[in-house]
This record gives sequence, C-alpha cells and structure tokens, in this order.
Amino acid sequence: MEYKIKKVSAPNRDEVELLGATFEEGNPEGEDAGRWRQKLDTRMEKLKYLENGERYWYGKDWFGSEKRKTPA
Amino acid sequence: MAEEEKKKKSVDQATVEMIEKASSDGCSIVFERAETLKPCPIGAVGSCCSNCAMGPCRVPLPKGREETPEEKAKRRGICGATAETIAARNFVRMIASGAAAHGDHGRKVAEVFLAAAKGEAPGYQVKDEQKLLQLALELGISIADRSNEEIAVDIGELAQQEFGRQEGELLFLRRAPLKRQELWRKLGVAPRGVDREVVETMHRTHMGVDQDYKNLLHQGVRTALSDGWGGSMIATELQDILFGTPSPVFSQINLGVLKEDQVNLLIHGHEPQLAEMIAVVAQDPEMVKYAKSKGSNGINLVGMCCTANEILMRHGIPIGGNFLQQELAIVTGAVEAIVVDVQCIMQGLVEVARCYHTKVITTDDKARIQGATHITFDEYNAIESAKSIIRAAIDNFTNRTKSIRIPQYKTGLIAGFSHETINYLLGGLFRASYRPLNDNIINGRIRGVAGVVGCNNVRVTHDDGHLAMVRELIKNDVLVLQTGCSAMASAKAGLMVPEAAVQYAGEGLASVCEAVGIPPVLHMGACIDNSRILIAATAMVKDGGLGDDISDLPAAGAAPEWMSEKAISIGQYFVASGVFTVFGVTWPTLGSKEVTDHLFRDMEDMYGGMWAFEPDPVKAAHMMIEHIDKKRKALGIDKARERVLYDMAMRRELE
Repeated sequence: MEYKIKKVSAPNRDEVELLGATFEEGNPEGEDAGRWRQKLDTRMEKLKYLENGERYWYGKDWFGSEKRKTPA
Repeated sequence: MAEEEKKKKSVDQATVEMIEKASSDGCSIVFERAETLKPCPIGAVGSCCSNCAMGPCRVPLPKGREETPEEKAKRRGICGATAETIAARNFVRMIASGAAAHGDHGRKVAEVFLAAAKGEAPGYQVKDEQKLLQLALELGISIADRSNEEIAVDIGELAQQEFGRQEGELLFLRRAPLKRQELWRKLGVAPRGVDREVVETMHRTHMGVDQDYKNLLHQGVRTALSDGWGGSMIATELQDILFGTPSPVFSQINLGVLKEDQVNLLIHGHEPQLAEMIAVVAQDPEMVKYAKSKGSNGINLVGMCCTANEILMRHGIPIGGNFLQQELAIVTGAVEAIVVDVQCIMQGLVEVARCYHTKVITTDDKARIQGATHITFDEYNAIESAKSIIRAAIDNFTNRTKSIRIPQYKTGLIAGFSHETINYLLGGLFRASYRPLNDNIINGRIRGVAGVVGCNNVRVTHDDGHLAMVRELIKNDVLVLQTGCSAMASAKAGLMVPEAAVQYAGEGLASVCEAVGIPPVLHMGACIDNSRILIAATAMVKDGGLGDDISDLPAAGAAPEWMSEKAISIGQYFVASGVFTVFGVTWPTLGSKEVTDHLFRDMEDMYGGMWAFEPDPVKAAHMMIEHIDKKRKALGIDKARERVLYDMAMRRELE
C-alpha cells in the first residue's frame, strides 16, 4: 500500500515528515475478515503459542507481577 | 404523545419512532406499561419480606427523616427478623437467582459439549482446537496424541462435575491472580460447586435460618464468585471451543437491519447453541429456496439481546437492538418470527405479536410462554430442529399485514474483542502481550480501564445512562470494555468503530487506539462473557507494573441501567474480585443503612473492591475516574516522571 506522509512543524526544527494512518480504507467484509487464530496450523504451533502468548497462565516460568518462589 | 415525553423514553431515534408506531397501532408495550405500573417503593429498597406465609412483612424506613432508635427497634417482621436481615436476605437471593441463571446456562453448554465430543450431537463439533488445548493444559488433562474428541470428553466431564462439586474449590479460581486466590481462601469465600453455593444461599434465606446480615452477605459473595469464576466462565470457555473464540468482526446494529423484502427471523435470548444452528441452517440453499417460494427475497437473520452478541461476535450477524427493543422489533410489522430460549424475554411479546402477524416461538422446555408457539429445540437433532423453526417463520411471511414500517437507523460496529484477541492485537502473533496496554496506563496516555455492562431499565431513559457514562469515560482517557445490552447502546451510537477514538476519546486514549487500530470502546460479548473481563483484568495484573492484584489496577465497573438479578450477581463477583462497581437506577438495600454500609464501605477493606450507587451516569463516571486516580496514586503513576538516561557510573551507584 502507498504510505501517507503528512508534514508537521516540530520544536526547534522545520517541518518534519510523519507517517500517517496505515490501515486500509473502507469496511472489512465477511465474517472471516478479522480471524487470526487460523494462522496457527498444527497442534504444536498452538501449544507453543499458548506457552508464549498466553504465558500469564501457561508459561513455564513465573511471570510479571507473580515472580515468586512460593506458590500460593 | 408530547415530543418531550417521547424523548424521555429513549435517546435512540429508532426506538422513539417505534414507540410512536405502537401507540398509533393501539399496541401495549413496556414503555406504556411503565407509566401505569409504578415500582413498589418498599420492595425496591429491600424492605419487604415474603419468605413465609405469616407475611409479607413490610418494614419501610420513615419518609424524609432519620429514624429514631425506638422506630428502628420496631422495624421487624412478624418473626422478629430485622430490616437488616430482610434486606440482606433479599439481596443474596438476587445473587442466587442470577448465579443460577448463568450456572444453568453453563450446565446446558457443558451437556451439549459433552454430547458433541461423544458424537451424539450432530452439527456440533470442536471448532477451536487452541481453546481446547488451553483448557486441557489448565485442567491437567493429557494431550499427547489424543484426538480432539477424546480430550473434549475429559474436559466436558470435568466441567459438569464443577456444578455438583461438594468439597474443595472451583478449578477456574486458579486463573485469578495469586494474591486474590489467597484472599478468597483466607476470607472463606472460595466457592465449592456452583449448585452447592446457590442451594446453600436459598437454604440460608429460608424462614428462620441465617439471621446475621454479614453472614448472609458473606455467602452472597461466595455464590457470586461461583458465577463469575464458575458457571459463567465454564459457559464462555466451552462455547468458545464449540463455536470459536471471537475475533474482530464488522457488522451493523439497530432496527434498520430488518429487511422489508425478506423473511425476518429474530433470535432472542442467551444460549448460543440454538442461534448457532439457526445461523448455519438459515444459509442452507433448500431453506432460501423455500423462503423465495413464499414470495420473499431470502432469509434475514437478526439477533436481539445477548444471543445477538453471541452470533454477532462469531458470524457478524446484525443486531436488531437491546432489551427494551424486543417488543419494538415486532412493532415494525416486518418480523415473521421471534425465536426465544431463556432469560430477559418479556412475556409481553405475545401480546405485542397479537397486534401484528409475528409468531413468538419458544424453544426451551424450561421457558414456555402462554400463547406462544412451542417448538422444542433438540440439541441431539439440532439441524432438523432448526429447520422446523425456520420453516415456521417462512410460512408466516404471507401473513404480513400492511402495517410495516422499518425505522431507517443502523450503525456499523466492530465486535469480537475476547481476551485472546486483545492479547493478540496488542502484541502480535509472536509475542502476544498486555504490555502495551500496561505501559500506556503507566505513562498516562490511558488513565485506566472501565467495564460498563448490564441491561436496559424502562425506569430510566433507554440507553441514555450507558451513553452518557461511556462518553464521559473515554473523554477522560479511560478505555471501556463492554458486554450485553450496554455494549449495544454504545454500538448504536457509533462508539464501537476505530474512528470513534478521534471523535470522542481524550487525546491520550485516541493516540493508543489509533496506533493499535481499535475502537475506544471494546465489545467483549454477551452478559455471560463478563468472565472475559475478569480474565483481561487478571492478564493486566500478571503482566506486571500495575500491582499484584485486581484491586490494585486503575479500573472500575458499572451497570448504569441494570434491571436483572444476574446484574447483581455480576456486580458482586466483580466487587469480590477487587473492582469498584457502581450501579444506577435504584439500589435494592437502601432500606437498611447497615447492609448498605457493609456493601459500600466494609467490602473495600475486605476485598479491595466495593459497591456504590449513583443514578446520574455522569456523576457515576466521575466516581469511577476518582477511584481510578486513587489507584494510580497508590501505584505511584499519578504524576509524569522525568526520564533519566542512566550511564554506567550511575548504574554502579545504584548497586
């Protein structure tokens, strides 16, 4: 797609170029338009996604706010 | 009807038009009934006990003044039950009823799920293998080389056991932040089986059992948690496996989605197994051909209420409207059949349908309506059941009268923001994450997050409470998550498209929405899917940087137009999960100051979340913002901090 560039003035500089919106114009059509889970094909890919993407529950290491040694 | 009077009934133009049409057609609808039948002021504040045949006992507060100690001592039922006991009993009975509704929905889904896994329910199958694997990991079910069906049988059986569990605690409690789990155990509110908590609540509120209001409310908490982290969550998760986890989908909403030249089939209620099958069968060429043979141009399937949210999120099927528009859809004169299952279905539909040609078709044997046509939906023979229902609608097309007027209002929306999709949209396929959300809350672009949910209530202007509150929140950079009829109100007003961010949201929130490509108001599903909000909140906690419990988050909840007992159960499980929750319209314990204080104040000390009541939606929004700011302050993110680039020398000093 062709990128939209807009020019804005910045402090202590002349005009600078900014990248505009990068989404496609118009409304998506069909119920498949926003589906993303089909990108994961095999069971192995799905399990890896769970371990990584849903690591809050299924990661092997303690994560984020719950890095604690003693389980609740 | 005076112009001013009509406006008071709804802020939605399609609704106003149809109220007028109903009036000119001589058809009685909920808006008219509300004028002649006023709510009982004693029952509304929880001061009436009808739990035995010695009563009903009414123990109202004196009007317009504080009661004296002598008057308070006399405010008792015939058995001696105090106003506190009566108000608390009524309140926890509302929770039990709401939890039972969600729980029974979950149980039905579990039954169909298990039957599908065993190959006994043709038409249903595992559609989302990833969600299946997710639950297997969570519930400790072996995956190995087993087929999806084998895994699903184990999951289905385990899910069914959750309803009748007699000891221990519900398995999904493990999903909550660790600190929250510890708190529930410490306070003794970790629920056992879903059914057990509901039954115990009904027992305790029977005449002459639990007569300590704090003890009653304690059980109310445990029952509500068995809904949010039990019945509702089981329903949502199993539905996702059977029908697919929602992804972003574009559709349209409001009565303008009805089509004059087609067979309009409205599907209304809550459980998606019926709607899903009708959605599939309505596209069957044999059915379309049959519809055309009756002179129509096809079949137009339209959703109503929470069933609408279910099929919208998974198929993009348009929505006719929310709770207070169910009768008005019939008033258009263009609806061949309104097919209903359970919950929020007004008996008044049958009377309204008599004014036109519409057939009201009940489908669940536990929810029949006198005067309606009953066609049992048999999940074990779902396709044939769906065909019978659709045929009945098609056959009615030729009975249309001349009184057809479809209001020309419909709005585009994007729905389908499940927790999984939000996680994916924020981080991408290779590192799905809530980090960008948390970072933008920490840096202040997003002030906080609010869940605005719940019903419509004819005692206030239709949709006005939802819209006024949501607009105020997003204007103040609060990201709004919505479900149920509340989500539909925002969608009708155009708040659920990405463009709404620039138009209505504060600068900070708009910039984040624009970068991610999401609306400032996210549609997360039906009322059963409030469990998705619990999971999203938990993911925010677990990602880090915003405390270590849901009660630490800069977040709040609301139901500005609530009316059902389910709303009370939902509100209570949010409060017990640590969320400040404000309700509008009316409050059912105002007849007892002690009970109300316990819910509004003591619960904050116990659970970190508490109830509030504010009928003005803008004032309520400000209460939520104030709470969000309080949490930001406690987290130390209330002020912008100077960014300092540390060199090696400065780093060494730190150590």
